[in-house]
Amino acid sequence: MNTLIAIGAGIAVLGGLGAGIGIGIATGKATEAVARQPEAEGKISKTLILGCALAEATAIYGFVIALMIIIMLQ
Amino acid sequence: MGNLTESLMEELNCETVFTIPIFGGIDISESVVVTWIIMAVMVLIAFILGRNLRIDHISKRQAIAETIVTKLYSMVEGMTGPEGMKYTPYLVTVLVYIGIANIIGLFGFKSPTKDLNVTAALAIMSIILVEFAGIYQHGVKKWLHKFTEPIAIVTPINILEVFTRPLSLCMRLFGNVLGSFVIMKLIEMVVPIFLPTVFSLYFDIFDGLLQAYVFVFLTSLYIKEAVD
Repeated sequence: MNTLIAIGAGIAVLGGLGAGIGIGIATGKATEAVARQPEAEGKISKTLILGCALAEATAIYGFVIALMIIIMLQ
Repeated sequence: MGNLTESLMEELNCETVFTIPIFGGIDISESVVVTWIIMAVMVLIAFILGRNLRIDHISKRQAIAETIVTKLYSMVEGMTGPEGMKYTPYLVTVLVYIGIANIIGLFGFKSPTKDLNVTAALAIMSIILVEFAGIYQHGVKKWLHKFTEPIAIVTPINILEVFTRPLSLCMRLFGNVLGSFVIMKLIEMVVPIFLPTVFSLYFDIFDGLLQAYVFVFLTSLYIKEAVD
């Protein structure tokens, strides 16, 4: 049973994959944008931080669910 | 592992501190008491900074107060747009409250945003404000009509959004605070010295303030959409 719980929690954390890819793409694009228009850096970084915080949410959901699986099922 | 689970459960449970003996007993949980402490601090700061305001020959204290207020206001007003400007005081209050609530864990209190009920209450307050702003701006008829825009087929999705928005607001704030808390506990368990300090700068201070900002940003985005 414990093994199954651990596997389930691991699968739930896989949601972090999407957040990683999303933040990576966003940062890459932001770098491109700054390279193209260095004067707009302030606006770009503000938007980037916000976008990252929103994209991070999926990873957080996965993490919360994994934690709940571990705590509730034990 | 068992030890960690135990201590996590202890932190997750919001104990009842005392019970008010009316209406068959109202339970006052720990998050409410910490919220009272935050309220007291905020009121005290506002009282100290807000005394003896003058128009000319302002004191240093008043200059500080004006800087804080104008900075916060301009930050939020940029997000709500000109139509939603009258909701700025509420949004700034929520911003300051969530900001303090997220970093109050550093001072040994249990941060109230780690209690799901607090974030749920904040999210419900936000969605009520958003819908109220829509009704106040356009009237009931136009507000109802907005559900069928841009085309009639999206009406179920628009109605569903009224419920999913507060849910995602609530879960995002709760999950982030809980997540950073658990990660900090894990780091403290593995490396008890120095490293927690460095990570606490990111997880407790930066992430906490960022989440407060994100919460207010999303609320003001919804308000802007509602009054448009």
